[in-house]
Amino acid sequence: MVIELSVFMENRPGKLEAITRILAESGINIRGISVASEGEFGVIKIIVSEPDRAYGVLRENHFTVSKRKMVMVEIKDKPGGLHDLLVLLSMNRINIEDCYGIALEEGKKAAIILEVGQFPRTEKILRGEGYTVLSDQEPG
Amino acid sequence: MYWEKDLETLDRKELERRQLEQINWTIRQARNSSFYSGLKINRIDSLEAIQDLPLTTKEDLRNQFPYGFLAVDRERVIRLHSSSGTTGKPTVVFHTREDIDRWQNLIARSMYAVGVRKNDVFQNIMGYGLFTGGIGFHYGAELLGVMTIPIGPGNSKRQIWFLKHLRTSVVHILPSYALRLYTFFDELNIDPKKDLNLKIALIGAEPHSNEIRKKIEELYGIKAYNSYGLSEMCGPGVAFECTQQAGLHVWEDHFYPEIIDPDSMQVLPEGEEGELVLTTLSREAMPIIRYRTRDLTSLIPGNCPCGRTHRRISRIKGRNDDMLIINGVNIFPIQIERTVMAIPEIGNNYLIEIRKKDYMDKLLLKVEVNEQVFQGTLSELEKLQRKIIVELREELDLTPEVKLVESASLPVSDGKAKRVYDFR
Repeated sequence: MVIELSVFMENRPGKLEAITRILAESGINIRGISVASEGEFGVIKIIVSEPDRAYGVLRENHFTVSKRKMVMVEIKDKPGGLHDLLVLLSMNRINIEDCYGIALEEGKKAAIILEVGQFPRTEKILRGEGYTVLSDQEPG
Repeated sequence: MYWEKDLETLDRKELERRQLEQINWTIRQARNSSFYSGLKINRIDSLEAIQDLPLTTKEDLRNQFPYGFLAVDRERVIRLHSSSGTTGKPTVVFHTREDIDRWQNLIARSMYAVGVRKNDVFQNIMGYGLFTGGIGFHYGAELLGVMTIPIGPGNSKRQIWFLKHLRTSVVHILPSYALRLYTFFDELNIDPKKDLNLKIALIGAEPHSNEIRKKIEELYGIKAYNSYGLSEMCGPGVAFECTQQAGLHVWEDHFYPEIIDPDSMQVLPEGEEGELVLTTLSREAMPIIRYRTRDLTSLIPGNCPCGRTHRRISRIKGRNDDMLIINGVNIFPIQIERTVMAIPEIGNNYLIEIRKKDYMDKLLLKVEVNEQVFQGTLSELEKLQRKIIVELREELDLTPEVKLVESASLPVSDGKAKRVYDFR
């Protein structure tokens, strides 16, 4: 399980940069990022090295931010890697609300961040099939 | 529970007898000023006959700057205050020592009514200076005997430091600043509900909705009471809520209230909404007869369970001149405030912008998202935006544009909040 931080943000130049600067200055590593935008505003979703500290730092800087639990699962960086994972989830009737990928080691490993309804069950199924489920503590 | 039981619970008949006596005293006193020297009526025989006296306007006060309303020798004046208006000539108000004494007594009476006692700690977060809000409460609180911290507004972190370390139990604060101040607690890692000793907020000096009051009460876990006043009458202390929170008692032993139709100038019956008109009943330096406050309210019929016989006015809806006409529809900013502040997903600040586009008026509302209830999804934000539009459409009968903005991103001032920007 990893903690994803989602930050509400107006869609204007320099807004995203404000977040990355604060995190960089605080020595927090961004492991993954995804942006959902509606036009005028959006939600920035980030996976970071120290989510609790990052949450505190963003709040202090008056960002509207919330924490969400996500499944982060390692897949092989090769054709069909993601497909196999999704087949497994759909066979088990697990619905995916949100999903984005990050590279861990280029050409070797990648990870998929999943937002699912049935949280512990999903992790259990994945582990049962031999997948590596990552957590905040593990280096990425 | 009463500061002056006899006066606050005076039998209506006796109160009205005294009011008539004091109106006639005021007429005599006012004649000493150049503005009222030509007053045609010497005395009135009934309270209803006050309608025969002419109205006084803000414009009159401006035109008579500086001494046209002064009704005593200059040497007897010990204080001048000036209204917060920024357009053109200021209006100035004079006080004798006795005027000041009466004023501070009304503040003490108001504070006592909502439970402020000697053992409280009172942090006066209202502006000091020409503005009557800070100084008015300062002297009233001292008369009551409560330890008073004359901190004034601004410097939010220092405010919170005092709140915490001096165990402040009562504040006097602009409602907009109370909401703004709240945004600083998080970064200081202080929970206002757990780490403070705050119990009462006295809020006033700008019209605000009941929803804003409730929000302040919820955020801080306190009671907030509405204070009404205007520098032309003295400042705060003209009318004040009691613990019933069901309207503001006008201190009728010092002010005589009427509600008029702002167009026809006719006096309206109890319960009907119109412009509040006030006559000072005890002021020496600057008596004012039938002053048009421009504040819209109504006199609430019936008795208050608190036992006070002084009549109540309803929460101020706004000023005559606050009214916006948008594509022919009359709108008061407070209607918008009431609607948006009742939506929990909305934060503490909002702003209204009006522009002309293709010959049509466009209302744009910017609202801050409440970080406490933000779940982190785009869909909830889209849903919120639609919800605001729908609810405003029901309230206003027009479709506004709604923009969600980040918390603490809208401009705030330490003075009265400016929330309407009309670019037409």
